[in-house]
Amino acid sequence: MRHYPRWPIHLILLVASFIMLVPFYWVLKTSVSGENIFTYPPNIIPRNPHLFYYVDVWYAIPFARYFLNSVIVSVLTIAANVIFNAMAGYALTRGFRGKNLVLMLFLSCMMVPFQATIIPAYLITGKLGLLDSYLGLALPQFSTIICIFVFKASFDAVPKSLIDAAKIDGLSEWRIIWKVMMPLAKSAMATNIILSFIWSWNNFLWPLIMTRSADMQTLPLGLSRFLSYQEDTTGALYAFCVMVLAPGILLFLLAQKEFIQGLTSGATKG
Amino acid sequence: MDRRTVIKGGLAMAGVLAAPAYLRAQSNKKISMLTWNIADQEAYFKELFADFTKDNPGVEIEWLDKKGPELPAFYQTQLVAGTAPDIIDLQGMIWVEWAANGALLDMSPMLEKEPAVAKLYNPDYLSGFVYDKKQFAIPFYVAKTLLYYNKTMFKEAGLSGPPKSFDEIINFSQAMAKGEKTGFLTLNFDWLYWPLMRMNGVELLKPDMRTPAFNTPETAAVLDKLAKATASGGINKIAWTGRWVEPNGAFASGNVGMLQAHSASYFFVKGQGPWVNPDTLGATQAPGNWSTPTNHAFVISKSSKNPEVAWALIKHMTGNKWATKFALSRRILTGNVEADNTVLAKMKTEDPLAHAVLQTQIEHTDKMTGNWPLPNDAQVKDAFWPEIQNAVLGRKDSKTALADAERAVTRVMRRS
Amino acid sequence: MVTATVEAGRRHRSSFIARKTTRQAVLIWCFLAPSLLIFLLYRILPLAWNVILSFQAWSPLRPAVWIGFDNYDEMLTDEVFWQSLWNTLYIIGSAPIGIAIALALALLVNADIRGRDVYRTAIFLSYPLMTVAVAIIWRWMFDERVGLINYVARSLHLVDSPIQFLNSFTWALPSVIAANIWQMLGFYMIILLTGLQNIPGNLYEAAEIDGANAFRRFLRITLPLLKPSIFLCFVIGMLNSVTSFDLVYVMTGGGPGRATEILVTYIYKLGFVQTRFDYAAAVTVVFFIMLITIAWAANRFSGGNAGAVERD
Repeated sequence: MRHYPRWPIHLILLVASFIMLVPFYWVLKTSVSGENIFTYPPNIIPRNPHLFYYVDVWYAIPFARYFLNSVIVSVLTIAANVIFNAMAGYALTRGFRGKNLVLMLFLSCMMVPFQATIIPAYLITGKLGLLDSYLGLALPQFSTIICIFVFKASFDAVPKSLIDAAKIDGLSEWRIIWKVMMPLAKSAMATNIILSFIWSWNNFLWPLIMTRSADMQTLPLGLSRFLSYQEDTTGALYAFCVMVLAPGILLFLLAQKEFIQGLTSGATKG
Repeated sequence: MDRRTVIKGGLAMAGVLAAPAYLRAQSNKKISMLTWNIADQEAYFKELFADFTKDNPGVEIEWLDKKGPELPAFYQTQLVAGTAPDIIDLQGMIWVEWAANGALLDMSPMLEKEPAVAKLYNPDYLSGFVYDKKQFAIPFYVAKTLLYYNKTMFKEAGLSGPPKSFDEIINFSQAMAKGEKTGFLTLNFDWLYWPLMRMNGVELLKPDMRTPAFNTPETAAVLDKLAKATASGGINKIAWTGRWVEPNGAFASGNVGMLQAHSASYFFVKGQGPWVNPDTLGATQAPGNWSTPTNHAFVISKSSKNPEVAWALIKHMTGNKWATKFALSRRILTGNVEADNTVLAKMKTEDPLAHAVLQTQIEHTDKMTGNWPLPNDAQVKDAFWPEIQNAVLGRKDSKTALADAERAVTRVMRRS
Repeated sequence: MVTATVEAGRRHRSSFIARKTTRQAVLIWCFLAPSLLIFLLYRILPLAWNVILSFQAWSPLRPAVWIGFDNYDEMLTDEVFWQSLWNTLYIIGSAPIGIAIALALALLVNADIRGRDVYRTAIFLSYPLMTVAVAIIWRWMFDERVGLINYVARSLHLVDSPIQFLNSFTWALPSVIAANIWQMLGFYMIILLTGLQNIPGNLYEAAEIDGANAFRRFLRITLPLLKPSIFLCFVIGMLNSVTSFDLVYVMTGGGPGRATEILVTYIYKLGFVQTRFDYAAAVTVVFFIMLITIAWAANRFSGGNAGAVERD
């Protein structure tokens, strides 16, 4: 590689990162503001910052309960996604009759807008006896098409010779997946975990329709509820935003090395 | 652990996770109630329910609350699944559609049996919930539009008092418009802007309640005046585009001369506008004393398995004791005469401005408009309003807009 | 099901070739079964429900009546439908903007510079956010009175009076799109970065020896080899933005007027606000066909290799 000046790259990336991060700062700032948040011009740095709004939120809704519900639903979703998607992804790397049909089916399933499926989805969940339950909340997201394809692509990259060798050693298909393929598909697994977490954590409309008891509400419902009776008149809404987003961001920051590095470099190793 | 145990354990756990919480606690007399975006009143409802179950042992109350735009979605799904809540708190005119489709219980027989109950409520508000000569709802809390005006801005513009006619509204707005300042705002959701039309004699439908009556040169002239005032800055554009936060917020900033809105706006404006006091804010009737109500009321689902318990609970909630508590804690009117008198008397000394605002809500209740009992109200609104919006924002000339609106409304009416 | 596959695996060892293929087919279908079952329950059956309903007149309280193509006929003259369709296409059409920015950033982050991980994290950080929260954040950024964007624009004297972004017929849709791009940018970038790192380095070396400049190398090598990744970005971006119900719902509710009404919000309103599930079903079917067509066209355009993400 030839040498070229690095500073323009840094400059552009700095500006881009700045733009991407500013909204975070603005919300964080609002959530600790001591002054009336509607005074103009707004202060760039909050005057007499305090955590009053956070206390407000803590008492306004059962935050811990909603949080716990969101965690349970997300864990169920992630576990199901990793197992089911890996299985389906592996199946799709093999040749079999009807494969094209299945591929077409999967791809077209992506195009069904969820908002249009609420009523039948609700009736089906009711028939399964899963209304107002954790399993019912998580079930529609137990397998996601994009993640199946991520696994398929990752498995496709595993050299065929490796699989043949494993077969000669007498390993069953089941073992081939878990002992040979999965360790090589760490990136796909990371992608699955993070994506299914995001989708499940953010789900709004389904829990809204599905849950009846106050004990089953998840965080996004709390957020929308908060939005409605506080309108956006106090900083508490923004404090709640921070509290809702913080766990996800924290989790992501802690695990980001595995997530992103796995995601971006895993495939080249295969 | 061998694999089989793991699977068994997993299945057992799935079973626990699967059992719906509200089925685990069963009782023979179970009442579910769905309210409209008042989750913050949890303490009030808990106390109220405890009081009710003390007198009605064995009754178990499930309380659900959803915010406004999501309540119908939740209800429709429950309806299809056959699990509609027994009591529902509905806002605006949605109840008409549900009543017309046979989802709601007619409460007239109960009121006939207990004539004392009907006397508890303001007759004009109560009769607002009659469709097809049947009483389908009992008021929970009520409000209608009034005209707020910024006295400081009126004084600056040399205006002595609130406008007495539509033309004065327009002229006053123009007089106050200067730089960032504008003269007039209205809320526009549901039909809350309709007094502006009604005070000009505009009718939405002919008496048959099916044929559009609004496409007239007079209506076009009204729209032209509104459009002109909007273009020149007399009327703030937010009047036609904002929802709830925006117009109230703009008026609270102190830069708008008048706001047509219901009593709930007062508390919003007061919360955000440090300038608000009896010397700076006025509250009065709109010209012609016309107003559009936006009420909350309790209905009973026809599918309810315990309609008599539901009726008892509604009587309990809207009766003197609990209506008064609610009116006092929220500083609103409930449609219950005694409760409203109590809160008005209290406000008179505590907060004269709030008193002035609330007083407008029980005056001229015979001049309510924009509250037609239309089974397809939501569809008519959706067909009509965007064209009015186009006209007043100058995106279409008013004659074309009215013709388009007439076509759209006719189409809606033909379909039902 | 798990036990079944395990046993199938065990027996597999001592089987003949012919029986082996049948058994393998059984195994493959077993592997696909859980996913297929979930899609059947939550995608295919609901879609079928919509298709049937679209030929009927029905509401939760009225029995269904067959009415043929009436619902579809109505769409032809329904201005709101056309407006929502147009807005939806507008949003889909804006996806390439986001992808182009993401590609530029991916190329830069892919350069051998210090602190690239930090940049990457900063840019990706907006993706894992809850959409409802993203909508609240951006509503606040666009706020007319004290929003940061208006504040900056006014301080720099770009505008005299604040712009009512979310209440303006001109600005509302672009504002929603900006928020959407902000959220999706990091995701696009990661996908493209993966694609970039999968391009064998020796291709570039060979091209450099042949005397191709950086721009030609980008056009001749990077872009063609990146096609599958770009396709993936486009399809996921398209699905994400046209189904970004939460974002529109919280930011503007579809307004002002119908300025930000998209098909998903319209479908939702038709069903749940106007109680016209039958007509909403017909719109859903049209929406579905439209998405399939666009995805198919994008697939053809990118070389007809849907689903192949990381490798050829």
